[in-house]
Amino acid sequence: MTRDEIRDIIIEIIQDIDEEAEFDGLDADAPLRDQLDLDSMDFLDIVMELRKRYQITIPEEEYPELATLNSCVNYLEPKLQSVAVS
Amino acid sequence: MKSLEDYQLIIIGGGLSGLAAGIRTARFGQKVLILEQHHFPGGLNSFYYRQGHILETGLHAMTNFAEPSNRHAPLNRLFRQLKLSRKKFQTHEQIGSEIKFQTHGLRFNNDFSFLESEIEREFPGSLDHFRNLAMKVQEHDPFALSKWQSTREILSITLRNKVLEDMLLLPLMVYGNSEEHDMDFGQFVIMFRSIFLEGFFRPEGTIRDFLDMLVEQYKKYDGEIRFQTKVAKIVTHKDRIQGVLLESGEEISCRAVLSTVGIPGTAHLSDWPLELEAYSGKMSFMESISILPSSQRQSVRSDSTIIFYNNKDEFHYSCPDTAIDDSWGVICFPENFQALEEGDVFQVRVTNPANYEIWRQAGSTQYEQLKTESYTKSQQTVGKIIGNYWKGAVFQDSFTPTTIERYTAKAKGAVYGSPLKIKDGCTPWQNLFIAGTDQGYLGIIGSMLSGVTIVNQQLLQ
Repeated sequence: MTRDEIRDIIIEIIQDIDEEAEFDGLDADAPLRDQLDLDSMDFLDIVMELRKRYQITIPEEEYPELATLNSCVNYLEPKLQSVAVS
Repeated sequence: MKSLEDYQLIIIGGGLSGLAAGIRTARFGQKVLILEQHHFPGGLNSFYYRQGHILETGLHAMTNFAEPSNRHAPLNRLFRQLKLSRKKFQTHEQIGSEIKFQTHGLRFNNDFSFLESEIEREFPGSLDHFRNLAMKVQEHDPFALSKWQSTREILSITLRNKVLEDMLLLPLMVYGNSEEHDMDFGQFVIMFRSIFLEGFFRPEGTIRDFLDMLVEQYKKYDGEIRFQTKVAKIVTHKDRIQGVLLESGEEISCRAVLSTVGIPGTAHLSDWPLELEAYSGKMSFMESISILPSSQRQSVRSDSTIIFYNNKDEFHYSCPDTAIDDSWGVICFPENFQALEEGDVFQVRVTNPANYEIWRQAGSTQYEQLKTESYTKSQQTVGKIIGNYWKGAVFQDSFTPTTIERYTAKAKGAVYGSPLKIKDGCTPWQNLFIAGTDQGYLGIIGSMLSGVTIVNQQLLQ
């Protein structure tokens, strides 16, 4: 999966979690939590959705790696390298 | 990931906490089975039909009203967690409710400032004290694990007015306190927020539609549910659960069990050596439902959604010494929510505290007599408040603590379960967890959040 594809997947997952989420003007280097008003329960959903779709397990201590859109992409890139977009 | 067990998770009980937990786990691909002893889901919050009318049981209203835009409100968090559309969920807010004591009355609705103005009117000089209390409520995190604190003590210091204290406690205790006399402050905060700060509403349709929506969502994620299926035993081996044994003799294996049948019920199924007396709640109730023709609307004073009344000088939240205590209770008009269409009939539901032991010990003939006597006593008292509503009723039915015990798996008919809760859901077995009433979050929204929280904390990681 390319970096752009991973980015799209993250946005798709968040959109799926929150029907109201608004991505216009999103700063890829600022915390998603503040910009999209996500709480810890929403973050758990992102983690669980990644596990369900791509069988990747993210340990709780690594959740901070998912703070911004860019950090998500950086963190997931090696894990999703060999995965093709379905 | 293929597992050797039949299911990854078995949930005992298809009430609101079990259904919410089921949706949450099935949503992420786990193989889940819910076992429900009755024909219908819902547990305490269910329904039955008499003479073509649907009668709802359990809570009179849902609490925790929030507009869809308020993302962090419990109601909306719950909907996101279950992947249900909050926008499509139509709600009707209460018209307004009332706390009625001999000397004072307070009205409230889903606008907190209205309650503030009522307090200023009825208790001049107390508004600042009440605001201090509201501030304490806002600052307190009821979900952090903390030790028991006396609500009575905090209220007496903060409010400095016993009547006001009793008045505020009546709705909050009767809708969600498993302890007698006093209440844990954490629980008080949850109830204060859900009732005074957020408020009462009901969904479009009936509780049946609401339950159908949950079951449908659960099945969409391939969740399985079996009705009329009683669990005889939770099969344990050392510190782990291996599965469950059904009354039919069938054995089903699983990786984990989530029990929503209360601490005493779970202890019974698992041979958990517990001092059960400490986990048996004393607060049970008798409820009577009357169906009245709409022509009677004029003769019944029914401009409120819910009336909480107390005819004594003080309010004592405790198990009565008699079959029921009609000196305090709740009168609910289930049709009195905003923008509901008037039907041919309307209902009045009356709830009074009741003594489980007296009802249990009554033999079958005595039981019927006790029911009639208690009902008559209650309707005389309530008649003085709203008018003689029972005259002309087309249908009446009552349920008692023993009915509650039989249909809802609540030991001794204690609707709010054990006075001691297990907040983290853990048991002596590594893979057996408790959710629902005895985990601690109460009410329809609360019990569903309980199911979701225990799944998030214990079963998804």
